Amino acid sequence: MFKRNRVKSKNKGGGLRVGQRHFILSVTIPMILYEVIGIFALLWAFILIFFKYSPGRAGGPILGLGGSNPFVGLQHFQNMFTGASLEARQFRISLVNTLIFAFVVLVLNLAITLPLATLIESVKSRYKDLFRMIYFLPVLTASVGVAEMWTYLYDPQAGLINAILRALGGTPVAWLSDPRAEFFGISVSMLAVIIAYLWADYGYNLVIFIAALQSIPRELKEAAMIDGANPWQTFSKITIPLLQPTILFVCVMTMLSSFQVFDVVQVMTDGGPNHQTRVMVLDIYDNAFRFQRMGWSAAVSFVLFIIVMVVTVIQMRVLRTDWEY
Amino acid sequence: MKKKLIVTFVLLTIFAMTLSACGGGAAEPTEPVAPGDTGSGAEPVSEEKVVLRLWTHQNNAFNAGYETIIEAYMQENPNVEITLETFEYELYLQTLQTAMPAGEEADILQMFGTWTSQYAERLEPIPDTVMTIAEAENTFYSAPVGGFIVDGVLYGLPQEFNLEYGGVLVNKTKFDAAGITFPPVWADRAAMLADAQALTEMDNAGMMSVAGYNFTGSDALAFDFLAGIRQRGGDYWNADQSGFTFNTPEAKATLEWMMSAVEAGAVDPVLFNDEENWVGDSFFQSRVGIGYIGTWAIAEGLANYPDFADEWGYAWLPSYEGDPVFVADSGWGLVVSPNSTNKDVAWDFVKFATANKANAEGWNIASGTIPAMPDVAKSDAIAAEMPWVAQALDLLPYGSYLGNMPDRDLVVYDILYPHLILALQGIETVDEALEAIDAEANATFE
Repeated sequence: MFKRNRVKSKNKGGGLRVGQRHFILSVTIPMILYEVIGIFALLWAFILIFFKYSPGRAGGPILGLGGSNPFVGLQHFQNMFTGASLEARQFRISLVNTLIFAFVVLVLNLAITLPLATLIESVKSRYKDLFRMIYFLPVLTASVGVAEMWTYLYDPQAGLINAILRALGGTPVAWLSDPRAEFFGISVSMLAVIIAYLWADYGYNLVIFIAALQSIPRELKEAAMIDGANPWQTFSKITIPLLQPTILFVCVMTMLSSFQVFDVVQVMTDGGPNHQTRVMVLDIYDNAFRFQRMGWSAAVSFVLFIIVMVVTVIQMRVLRTDWEY
Repeated sequence: MKKKLIVTFVLLTIFAMTLSACGGGAAEPTEPVAPGDTGSGAEPVSEEKVVLRLWTHQNNAFNAGYETIIEAYMQENPNVEITLETFEYELYLQTLQTAMPAGEEADILQMFGTWTSQYAERLEPIPDTVMTIAEAENTFYSAPVGGFIVDGVLYGLPQEFNLEYGGVLVNKTKFDAAGITFPPVWADRAAMLADAQALTEMDNAGMMSVAGYNFTGSDALAFDFLAGIRQRGGDYWNADQSGFTFNTPEAKATLEWMMSAVEAGAVDPVLFNDEENWVGDSFFQSRVGIGYIGTWAIAEGLANYPDFADEWGYAWLPSYEGDPVFVADSGWGLVVSPNSTNKDVAWDFVKFATANKANAEGWNIASGTIPAMPDVAKSDAIAAEMPWVAQALDLLPYGSYLGNMPDRDLVVYDILYPHLILALQGIETVDEALEAIDAEANATFE
């Protein structure tokens, strides 16, 4: 009896010191807020996947689900890959376009940034900062501003690019609006958007590569040269393998951002011409906010999430290393 | 055990609050109070302090008109305070779609009439004491009011006649330079096309630098196509309006005429379309001789291009054949939220803003829009401020409402426009385009 009372008495005091209570409160409240704002939004999107939900319809009594916003199970996914409806075809087009965009951006980005970083790393240190700053400047520019600037450069009548073509005696091109123009099977409008996106984005990877190159021990390269390796062999046999963790990071981050491209595409082409630059996030946005197909949009978002996850896991498997230097 | 119960209770309370926040707790319906005077605002509807919010999309010209009306209403009803909250157009759409399910929308909402059928479940029907359908049809042109009537229920009152058909901006400077009569008097479409050909200019590299007749924007293409079908005696609706009939001889003849305009060199649809050289911009950049666009683009274009120095005017196209029958969207108007706790006052304001001749006239002049009320459209003030409206007076009675499509934006912008422009660009044939339009548009009913 006595023992029980003692326990009770301890609990009455809360069992925790003031500092502990303060800690729990300061952690719990933000976590509850995060749960409500963040997790609930994700949970809501996940629930919507199974409904033909439009915010304009009142629907059933619980969260507007059911009734005029009916439960459709996995029908959205079935339609996406086998349906003949307009939204299904637009989804498939946007999926292909997103994959093209992401892989072309990744390849071109690596092809530009890695050699450029090596070049910058090789110049005298007083010029390094200058080059690094110049190449990093586009990253600091607002993406909408970048898109507007490139739209103007691509303008078929008044744009700088066509002006140069005219001066050289070439034929001007409607870079962003000609659905017939293509280059190696990729539409010119898609390539035009990729170039604009690359211009704005490559400085980020460049800085990362420069930092990684600076961290490679000089002794390793010197040892290779003493052993008779030429510069290319040093680069390919020493530098590239040692950069592998950085390359993995750059690949993952570039793919993630490329899969989520939206603003540059929306401003420059809005998915046109003839859906040739329609990417998945634009498809999600259009379906959700222009056509009020929130359920469909949530399902497309889920597919995008799965794709990004799978590609990231594959990259991490292929490029992972078990060592450090 | 008791502690567990308390924790469970707290968690359940948080969960329930979360659900209710997203579930859109509909406010208790208020007992309708007889409104005051029919929109004049002479008799205050209530003596209690009333605060209302009005949401509109962001358009400086439109909002200047709303501010004047709000000020006038608050002067006549000192107990009422109305706050105008504006949103950039895309954001306005998103805000409506998130706020309405949560029951957090403003008391009064600006709504494009054609959207009403999509939002009807979340809108308050107009009480008969405010205005009946018969009264609305007598007060407004049929096209603008038509969009606010869904399944025989009136949900709002229109402010503008959204006329996308037939109106063209004309560049007098270019007409004069080409030696063409201005203002144009076109007996038929062929005469207009001849002028357009004379206005077209190419640069040294053979690229079109000035389009004689830019009709390849989405609104112009879609509404001219629909009007062409009607003027040729056809229809794009089936008998009971449960489906579309786009693959018809009338539709084919209309699209073929459009293709002949492209072949005649009036416009290059690759260079002049919605994505490139949109008519609302390219006209004010002196890249267009005749630009097919609604009057609403005038105020915006002049504001966006203050350096535009060419002389210009606004004209109306002749019909394809027969009477100039056409279809129109139901334009911007006002609706009331069912969640408003002061619906009676909100309706009184809506009527004050839309059905009162002086207020409607002031708003149309401020916004540069065609009046939804015939009485206003025929007023001296409109004739003086917007002479192009006076020119269109004979045309307006030929307009009928577009019809309640399952998703108007989807049909117009993602089905009609893309296939029409692809046909004009030579990517699809006329038959392919019409078949695709017919199939895709009918699929929107599923």
